Amino acid sequence: MNTPNAITVQHALAGELLEEAALSLEELARACRVPPGWVIERVESGFLEAAAAVPGEWRFASASLVRARRLCNLETTFDAGPEIAALTADLIEEVVHLRQRLRTAGLDA
Amino acid sequence: MEFKDYYKILGVAKTATADEVKKAYRKLARKYHPDVSKEPDAQARMAELNEAQAVLSDPEKRVAYDALGSQPAGQRDFRPPPNWDAGFEFSDGAGGAGGDYSDFFEQLFGRARHAGGPGSSRGRHREPQPERGTDHHAKIELDLLDVYDGAERNISLRGARLDESGHMVTEDRTLNVKIPKGVIEGQQIRLGGQGGPGHAGGPPGDLFLEVHFKPDARYRVQGRDVTASLPLAPWEAALGAQIEVPTPTSRVQVTVPAGWKKGRKLRLKGHGIPGRGATDPAGDMYLELELALPPGDTPKARELYETMARELPFDPRAGL
Repeated sequence: MNTPNAITVQHALAGELLEEAALSLEELARACRVPPGWVIERVESGFLEAAAAVPGEWRFASASLVRARRLCNLETTFDAGPEIAALTADLIEEVVHLRQRLRTAGLDA
Repeated sequence: MEFKDYYKILGVAKTATADEVKKAYRKLARKYHPDVSKEPDAQARMAELNEAQAVLSDPEKRVAYDALGSQPAGQRDFRPPPNWDAGFEFSDGAGGAGGDYSDFFEQLFGRARHAGGPGSSRGRHREPQPERGTDHHAKIELDLLDVYDGAERNISLRGARLDESGHMVTEDRTLNVKIPKGVIEGQQIRLGGQGGPGHAGGPPGDLFLEVHFKPDARYRVQGRDVTASLPLAPWEAALGAQIEVPTPTSRVQVTVPAGWKKGRKLRLKGHGIPGRGATDPAGDMYLELELALPPGDTPKARELYETMARELPFDPRAGL
């Protein structure tokens, strides 16, 4: 019991790039371990972005998965309301963006 | 298995009220929140805090945990006594949002989460329902070259799974993953069925890999565009030149125009990160033109600089 097992998978696993195969509502909810209703509420409030690739059917890209997990994490960790979590996520994303610009300009963030 | 002192992790007394536990958790969560924290071990500390909070904020789990007593002095390896949780009923799953917990936690509360699975023989739980495994998330760091060519990379992950007898075992595994050509920072690669194991015949979850680039002294990346510095000798900068420049995958001939200006960039169209179809074209490569001065440390170099000083009507501070 509890002995680390080393398992090596020999064949190469082909990853599926999410920018192309964007996630469905159910897949996004499952990846964040929240009910689909949680996602729907946040999309309808404008806190989370859905791209309608198929008419009437939401699809979510990589960036939305990162944001949804961030929102969920902020809400549960700090008992934050969705608005405060979204505002905090906006600020975090802004900082990430500015740090990236600093790096591109050759300045260490 | 190492005993986890959840009270110590949150820095609260055993007599702490639910409110004190919550306050201590939030204070530390702010300090170690991976999005914000500059602490090197923020992610691991946050996982520990989440686990401590999951136990101490849940009255049922806290009572069961307290009943275990504390870690016996000098004993690092810990095993719960048999049937330690007999008589305690856990009304919910152990997890909650985003829960990835230690072996210690899984040993204590994991069986309640997978109620009725293999290893549960007390019959106080409901009939097992097939349940899909949880999705797992990990970050991977790639070299820029990997995404130019597409590559196979070995990725080491540490996870936990239930063995045949229903016990939690840690598992180091190496996945050989095909990196799609043209993937960029922040994108996710999904590996179907490589997440947590399913229960009672349910399918396994997926594994999501979030792509990041290893820092590279030569290249800076934004989206699909790649920027590099291109040092020029003064005569190349002033007179223009044909020079050979390395890109991440090849060498290209570049025409540097005469008349250098600070901040000037050259664009090599389509030499950034490769595109992924018509809607997502390849990025560009930018070369930032920089001046490199030859040192004036030989008689010949001194002579040339002195000739320029004498014969060129040039005042670099004319605008001051």
